[in-house]
Amino acid sequence: MSTRINIGPVHPSTHGVLRLVADIEGDTVLRVEPHIGFLHRGVEKLVENRMYMQSPAYMEKLDYAAPMSYDELYVAVVEKAMGVEVKERAQWVRVVLLELQRIASHLLWLGTAANDLGQFFTLFMWCMKDRDMILRLLESASGARMFYVNMRMGGLVQDLPPGFGGGARDVLDYLERRVKKYEAYLEKNPVFMERTKGVGVLGKEDAINLGVTGPVLRASGVGYDTRKDNAYYVYGKLSFRPQTRSEGDVFARYRVRMMEIAESIRLVRDALDRMPDGDAIGMPVRLITTGAKNREASASRETPRGEGIMYMVADPQRPYRLAIRSPTFVNLAALTHIAKDCRLADVFAILGSLDIVMGDADK
Amino acid sequence: MMEGEAPYDRERFLDAEREMSKLVAESMEKYGAKPNVLFAKLSEATKAISKGMVDWARIRSLWPLQFGLSCCAMEMMNFGSARIDAERRGYLFFRGTPRQADVMIVAGWVTKSMAPEIKRLYEQMMEPRYVVAFGECATSGGPWWESYNIIQGIDQVLPVDVYAVGCPPKPENLYAAFMKLQDRIGGRIED
Repeated sequence: MSTRINIGPVHPSTHGVLRLVADIEGDTVLRVEPHIGFLHRGVEKLVENRMYMQSPAYMEKLDYAAPMSYDELYVAVVEKAMGVEVKERAQWVRVVLLELQRIASHLLWLGTAANDLGQFFTLFMWCMKDRDMILRLLESASGARMFYVNMRMGGLVQDLPPGFGGGARDVLDYLERRVKKYEAYLEKNPVFMERTKGVGVLGKEDAINLGVTGPVLRASGVGYDTRKDNAYYVYGKLSFRPQTRSEGDVFARYRVRMMEIAESIRLVRDALDRMPDGDAIGMPVRLITTGAKNREASASRETPRGEGIMYMVADPQRPYRLAIRSPTFVNLAALTHIAKDCRLADVFAILGSLDIVMGDADK
Repeated sequence: MMEGEAPYDRERFLDAEREMSKLVAESMEKYGAKPNVLFAKLSEATKAISKGMVDWARIRSLWPLQFGLSCCAMEMMNFGSARIDAERRGYLFFRGTPRQADVMIVAGWVTKSMAPEIKRLYEQMMEPRYVVAFGECATSGGPWWESYNIIQGIDQVLPVDVYAVGCPPKPENLYAAFMKLQDRIGGRIED
């Protein structure tokens, strides 16, 4: 006989307002179904009434754990619609900022997800402290702690401040040591290993069929990374490889994210070394308002949560229609499949490992 | 009523009360004190002491509800973590259940589907309970004010004590909001 229980929408472990309805028998989950929409505010409709340079501020609030990535994604779509090339230095600066944002996002994930797995509150404190150092770097580059609105069509609103490279290198050196410490702390912990190894396995075939992207897909052994396979900006010139694991369980997703932090640290260092001098400031606002040339445009980017795609039908001054493929929405849909026949307590381990941001799923 | 016990006689008890106060007044007069001054002072003092004690305890243990709606929840997490360390003034810890919480921090936009849930959470909290509207969205609807699914500010649903404005406000701003809340409850903790 199965029992139906309700989890959420306000629950300490759901990372936002997500409601789960689970059919359980004893402690075994027969089916768990996510109910979303508690944060829906119709952002795709709202930007139809905003000029192109007004909308990045709206886009950043989609994925509030990594605002810079959506800021950049929207600007990239508009650039394609306008047929604007990004300045050479601006491409390098964007790569630096995006990778720093990825590290910050993964650190936030590590703190919150590990906290769900058995009160690793120490780790949460450490991660928030280290994430704050990156936020301070991004604040020095853009002037804001969280919603940067730092990208402008064709370049950036402002170039990196003097001394940014040195400060960033110091922070990266520090982070490299810290990340090793986190790994040692977690992987020597029997509670963490017990709750992640072999839990919530997502096979390679299933991962492809469900359409998951990002670290969740790469943890299942598929080496698909938009930065590599559909290279944008200067990612083609930088040497890195998509980090994959073959197990497909919660531990593999954790490992992939930790390896991505290390990879991003290398990428930022490399990009800072090879960054050319020159002008990085984007178009003047008066040129942005005069219009898009192409009727249709789309762009895909590797956000920290997976592949984000925006498709836009452009009017001269504002989008006629904007469609967003948010990675969280697709990854969350895989929860029903992964959490079948697992223990009820493991649902939160799996949910945490998917790295959901409800603002992204609900749009 | 037991057998043999006299029935309740209201007049008799009124008489007894009158008798008592008469006795007290006489004895006060005898010792040169004005009637009722001593007792009035005593009860005032106890009331003041107990109110002071309760307020003193209350402002030092404002436990917020662990309830993040959207973006501002990131800064709310920062507020609780190492750099700001709000715990030193007793603003923590975050409780997972509304029944153990004093303060609700509404951190994020309030949609039409979420408003009834927030109201229910608020009603589950013990009195006295306080609400902090954290960020533009909870204050006025913020950038989404014209959306079809957004309520323009949490104050349309709940009574708000303190507003913290910004998009998102810095963690320091939430700290300042809590200090204002302490002022409202009765007295700030001085460093």
